[in-house]
Amino acid sequence: MLALSEILHSKLKFALIALAIGLVVALTMTLSAISEGLVTGMTGAKGNLDADAVVFQGDTYLNLERSLLTTDDVKRVRSAEGVAEAYGVGHVFISVNAPGEALDTHAFGLEADFDQLPIVEGVGGMPADGEAIVDETARADGVEVGDTLTLTPIDRELTVIGFTKNRRYVMAPVFYVNLDTYEDLRAATMFGAMAETTDGNVSIAAVKLEPGVTVDELAETLGGDFDVATPEEAALAGNGMPVMILAVNGIQGVSFVIGALVIGVFFYITTLHKTGQIAAIKALGASNVFVYRQLLLQILVLVTVGALIGTSLALGAGAGMPPAMAFDPRPDRWGVTLGLVYLMAFVGSLFSLRSILRIDPATALDHAEH
Amino acid sequence: MSLLEVRNVSKRYGGGQAVVTALEGVTFTVDAGSMLAILGPSGSGKTTLLSVIAGLLQPSSGEIVIDGSPIHVRSASEAAAYRREKIGLVFQDYHLIPYLSAVENLLLMPRLGGRVTHDHRDKAFGLLEEFDLGKRVKHVPSELSGGERQRVAIARALMNDPEIMLVDEPTANLDTERGMQVVSMLGEHVRSRKMTCLMVTHDQRMCEGADQVLRLVDGRMAERA
Repeated sequence: MLALSEILHSKLKFALIALAIGLVVALTMTLSAISEGLVTGMTGAKGNLDADAVVFQGDTYLNLERSLLTTDDVKRVRSAEGVAEAYGVGHVFISVNAPGEALDTHAFGLEADFDQLPIVEGVGGMPADGEAIVDETARADGVEVGDTLTLTPIDRELTVIGFTKNRRYVMAPVFYVNLDTYEDLRAATMFGAMAETTDGNVSIAAVKLEPGVTVDELAETLGGDFDVATPEEAALAGNGMPVMILAVNGIQGVSFVIGALVIGVFFYITTLHKTGQIAAIKALGASNVFVYRQLLLQILVLVTVGALIGTSLALGAGAGMPPAMAFDPRPDRWGVTLGLVYLMAFVGSLFSLRSILRIDPATALDHAEH
Repeated sequence: MSLLEVRNVSKRYGGGQAVVTALEGVTFTVDAGSMLAILGPSGSGKTTLLSVIAGLLQPSSGEIVIDGSPIHVRSASEAAAYRREKIGLVFQDYHLIPYLSAVENLLLMPRLGGRVTHDHRDKAFGLLEEFDLGKRVKHVPSELSGGERQRVAIARALMNDPEIMLVDEPTANLDTERGMQVVSMLGEHVRSRKMTCLMVTHDQRMCEGADQVLRLVDGRMAERA
């Protein structure tokens, strides 16, 4: 094919174009991964809860820090129509004297279902009193499995029994503890070091629904005393997340637009450089479809090579980042990114198509004479 | 029998006070299998006439009829198909594709119309042999001399067995000796295939082998011999 022959003949030129496309792809993918990393870092512990719905105290607007459910509330949720099972989830701010530096972070108390935590080191399952499973990004602060960490100023200790992943909250590694430990931490935080209980209160209830029951139906069943959302909705609420999501989407949108323009301009310039050649081919009898097909084939090859380069560069960049750095390369998002890169290239090729249509084959014979 | 009829063809560019007349009332016929040389100085309208006959330009008035069928009223895509199937075009600047070898440049012609077959390949190699380019088939244009490039361009024009060869200033970029060789070779191949050929030139010496010579001056026919 003409397109492939040209690529093979001008390897350096097209390698540079593929590299430039690769850099654009790497940029959009890295921005996508960092954006996702920011969202995961801010919300991972909430968004990854093993639940169909998350129930908050009413009128707290899905704010984890302000929601408080009593033991009776959780019982009400558990016995509501359409609920298969429900477990309490408590949240409390803690300060941990980590080996590296003091960590201002969060403890999540789970009433049940510790199996939802993927274990990357150590052991899983429900921790005993005074034990915690911690998000692996705490390693960056010198935390290791087996460490016993002091919590300040409440004079409590937590022993790390395992590391989990993608469970950060507001960019800090979450410490997962059992409900008794959580109650102790919360009471100590709220009422001083000597307090021992908060009577089984939790922050929210994670709910697994009966088949066919929707989150809206549960919200209707529970009434105005509770706010109900999916884990994804709950994750994106509070802590300025709506604004952050807007900013993240804006960054990704701008990178796509710039990427589309860069790729489009590349092919537009290469088309302009070949005006005389295209005029000659058209004069010999090539249709516009034939010429455009060659361009599309060239774009397909170069974008595919560029995508491979870009994906490798983005993965390399991610591997070189420290664990605490927000970088979450999600295959589905990268798949969408790659799809959009091909779309960008196609849109960019339309600039070139306009040029191809305008190239007058008569100019192939035109050498300053009429 | 006339294969090509050019009837009272005019071509004007621009409009109003700025109108430029490139051709005015040009009329002639060319018999099948004959060779017509169109002679004239620079700016006389030779290339415009060739472009109109090739369907690259629409005449402002007049008719072009090839084998009984008018070609001046075709759409751009129909004109492209007509050139692909009926016309062999040779450019002054060769217009070989720089990244294709000599044989691939020849195979471009069948590729424009569809698939390239083994027969096409055999024919391309055969044509290059006929034009003394058998040892240059794998060379790209930048590795060929001017004369070799022009011979590749002529061989490419013959690939699709055209009814009419339209040749634009084939010797303009060659010295006299090589120019004469190329024209002589062109004449031999055209005659052996009984093709009709129109060759534009500004060099009287290149008209020696032509059956007819049409002289153009300022877009008008000055003489026909």
